[in-house]
Amino acid sequence: MSRKPPSTLPPKWIDRFLQWRLPEDQFEEVQGDMQELYGKWVNEMGKKKAKWLYFLHAFTFLRFLPKRKPFFKINQYSQANSFHMIANYLKVGFRNVIRQKVYSFINIGGLAIGLACCITIGLYIWDEYQYDRFHTNYRHIYRVVEQQTQAGTLYDVASTPGPLAPALKTDFDEIKQTCRISEAWWAGNLQIGEKIIEPEDILVADNSFFHVFDFKLIEGNPQKVLLNPDEVVISETLAKRFFGADYANAGNILGRQIRLKDGRLLTLAGVAENPPLHSQIQFDALLSCRYDELNSDNYKWNGNNYQTYVLVSQDADVAALNEKLKNYLQKHITLTNATTLSLQPLSAIYLYSDFDFLTDRGKRGNITYVRVFMAVGTIVLLIALFNFINLSTARAMSRAKEVGVRKVIGALRKQLIVQFLSEASSMTVIAVILSLLLLKLFLPILNDIAGKSIAIPFGDAAFVLALLGFTLMVSLLAGIYPALYLSHFKPVKVLKGFQSLQSAQFFRQSLVISQFALSVILITGTIVIYKQLAFMQNKNLGFDKSQLLHVYLPSDLRNKASVIKTDLENLTSIARVASTSGNLVDINQSTTHFAWEAQESGASILITHLNIDPDFLSTTGMTLLAGRNFNPAITTDTSSAYIINETAARQMGWTVDEAIGKKISFWDIEGNVIGVVKDFHFRPMTTAIAPLLFRYWPKESISGLFVKAKANRVKEAISTIAQIHKKYNISTALDYQFVDQMLEKQYRTEQNTAHIVFYFSILAIVVSCLGLFGLATHTAERRTKEIGVRKVLGASVANIILLFSKDFLKLILISFLIASPIAWYAMHRWLQDFAYSINVEWWIFLFTGLLVVTITSLTVSFQAIKAAFVNPVESLRNE
Amino acid sequence: MGKSYLGEFEEMVLLTVAHLQSDAYGAAIMEDIQQRTGRMVILSAVHVVLYRLEEKGLVTSTVGGATAERGGRRKRIFTITAYGIHTLAQIRQQREELWQLIPKSIRPSTL
Repeated sequence: MSRKPPSTLPPKWIDRFLQWRLPEDQFEEVQGDMQELYGKWVNEMGKKKAKWLYFLHAFTFLRFLPKRKPFFKINQYSQANSFHMIANYLKVGFRNVIRQKVYSFINIGGLAIGLACCITIGLYIWDEYQYDRFHTNYRHIYRVVEQQTQAGTLYDVASTPGPLAPALKTDFDEIKQTCRISEAWWAGNLQIGEKIIEPEDILVADNSFFHVFDFKLIEGNPQKVLLNPDEVVISETLAKRFFGADYANAGNILGRQIRLKDGRLLTLAGVAENPPLHSQIQFDALLSCRYDELNSDNYKWNGNNYQTYVLVSQDADVAALNEKLKNYLQKHITLTNATTLSLQPLSAIYLYSDFDFLTDRGKRGNITYVRVFMAVGTIVLLIALFNFINLSTARAMSRAKEVGVRKVIGALRKQLIVQFLSEASSMTVIAVILSLLLLKLFLPILNDIAGKSIAIPFGDAAFVLALLGFTLMVSLLAGIYPALYLSHFKPVKVLKGFQSLQSAQFFRQSLVISQFALSVILITGTIVIYKQLAFMQNKNLGFDKSQLLHVYLPSDLRNKASVIKTDLENLTSIARVASTSGNLVDINQSTTHFAWEAQESGASILITHLNIDPDFLSTTGMTLLAGRNFNPAITTDTSSAYIINETAARQMGWTVDEAIGKKISFWDIEGNVIGVVKDFHFRPMTTAIAPLLFRYWPKESISGLFVKAKANRVKEAISTIAQIHKKYNISTALDYQFVDQMLEKQYRTEQNTAHIVFYFSILAIVVSCLGLFGLATHTAERRTKEIGVRKVLGASVANIILLFSKDFLKLILISFLIASPIAWYAMHRWLQDFAYSINVEWWIFLFTGLLVVTITSLTVSFQAIKAAFVNPVESLRNE
Repeated sequence: MGKSYLGEFEEMVLLTVAHLQSDAYGAAIMEDIQQRTGRMVILSAVHVVLYRLEEKGLVTSTVGGATAERGGRRKRIFTITAYGIHTLAQIRQQREELWQLIPKSIRPSTL
């Protein structure tokens, strides 16, 4: 046989046909044969005939081909790639999910709840951190704040003197621009023609408001607005209220006259875009700072009336500037109190502001609560993760054989790890999808409690990326331990059934312990927070808040206060009326300009003061411990008599009785103490009761009236007060508040936190119990035979339930012992924020312990009872 | 193993595998039969028979070397098994017995 290489190749399309027709391994040998023959045919008969023969032989392969035995397939394994393996892993994983419905439900459901909590809290915290970051220059904007030492205590003050800003700009090159802002709480309402509107937030600001910050003008010249002392800029909302929704086309509204409540005429110079939601500076109208500069008494170095913002240059050394500012005030004023200045970054204002004397009243968050929520979210996620890890390792027995077989066939440990990780991540993906559905449920609740309007930002690339990263991280956390654990089995042992699964027992138990420890901490925390809330709201404040109204008098009514008071007193629905210069919830007028008889040198007191009338004590129901009340008949009472509280007497070194008749001087006006009133709370419980002084200066301005309505006639009282108010002032509506509601409002943050922590601790317990239920089910399955044997030997149902529950209760007890001190310490720390707080009492722990034991017993005993009632014949029959 | 019945073409292929020895692969077997019998043999028929014989345990196969004529494809070399030889021997013996029964008058003198 002559064998020369083929001069030409056979037709390609026939080869393709063969390839389609034949199994891969057959194709190779057949094609080889065909080509060899073709070469020969070409030599012997010429190309044309050869092609024909080639075609003929090839197409006869259309015949029925015998199926070949598997061992015939020589190439199978060398061709399998990782894609096929992963597809196989997922298939096996999916079968496992389907076969073990209870465990899969617990695993995925628990993880979904945990993830939903975590994402909810993540969104909340992210939202909290968004404040003020929309300003292009937010990294370079700072607020100048003061630290004042008054009477030996350091106070943080957010406001600074008016002349500070221009002085800073001339003295420091790094400071490029400054902007002063102050609240024009006195401005009241605005009037255009007949239309009167009382905006919520009126600010006084510099023209630089539109240059330092990113607030934008819709109409008006940003270079010029507010430079004239009598100009005003209003927000879009306000413009719509004044000129209708179509204000832009309502003719030239700029230049229109707006009348302030005190009669001052302003010119409308601009309409600004509404401040974004994430701005701590909110405004409806802006007045010009120039007016203050020219006219106001407030504009001086010794009065703190402005928040001073500075824009520093990009390359400024902020630390150095901070240092230079520290004692800057001394340059301009001789200070009575040690006062230093410092810079607070704009982005820190929202979350990190804790200032005294109500100097910082914008929209504020609280970093403590952000941290609390972060901790709570992490705890719930951890609990869910532990569930996942626990159940995966507990169920290892059912996978051990599979691992053994895979290893025998030649799987590497690495491949098995990949297998279990891919299983975990596919479960995590399902859980993440479920959690997004849960999120739809959680977010409205959170929004409702926290007063936010957070939506799921699906369109946000950062969110989607974060979600993907989060999914990956959770898959790794949940999957890595089970993967390492399952893949370490020795195939020989596993397949013979000798592999002991005890090694993971300790680990699993520690996880259960940590889960329940975390739950115990959450539950204890919830109870303590609610207790403290209840304590603050129910504590005897030292006055009677029931049916007590505070009526705020606008400035034009204040001179008519006494007339209004008389009118009100004549009403049958009203018991008593008293005039006052402050409310009872947060009295913040205070001074160190105060001296007393036999004062030691160096001693000083920051005293809070209130201007009242003789009816005040009886209207509010306060108790005089010594001395007498003010008496209008005694003329000296209106000029040189004071009533002080217990704390003031104590701090000046007197007992209650000693204090009567002592000489004190307030704002350099000397007088005698005529009475001592029992201590009452006039600030939130976070602060201790401070020294306080009542004076009776009827000629001085008061700000409102306290009205005590008769029981059950409150509604009637309000409507009659409104009528009388109308008689004297047509333009504004009656501004009143119930004192008890005002008191409640000040604890809103605590209340919100309590609700949120409450919901999350419920979820934490649910997730922990899900996991425990899974473990109990698993144990019950594993111990079926044991229980059967015990029953045959005479164990009662009670014996078996006890045996079963004992193991779990032991873990719960240990977790309780670990968690209690931690919970005690954490709550102790939290309570230290309050000057008046509950004690973390032992019964709280007892209650938590009992609660957890009850819940877990219920969870476990369901399985225990089920296991105990199984007929031993059933469990022992199939051996 | 029970008795296996071989068809005429199967027997021919099996015999060819036996005598070609280490050169017994699809194309070579086909050519050999074609040359000896002069009849047209289709490659697919040879392959199908080879697989069937393998399934019956009469031959085994290994993958052999590639040559340039085959465009680099490997051959599958078939080898007859002991069972295969035994089967062939049995068939031959049956035939021999039958031959002996034919009267000498009509039997060809040379075989």
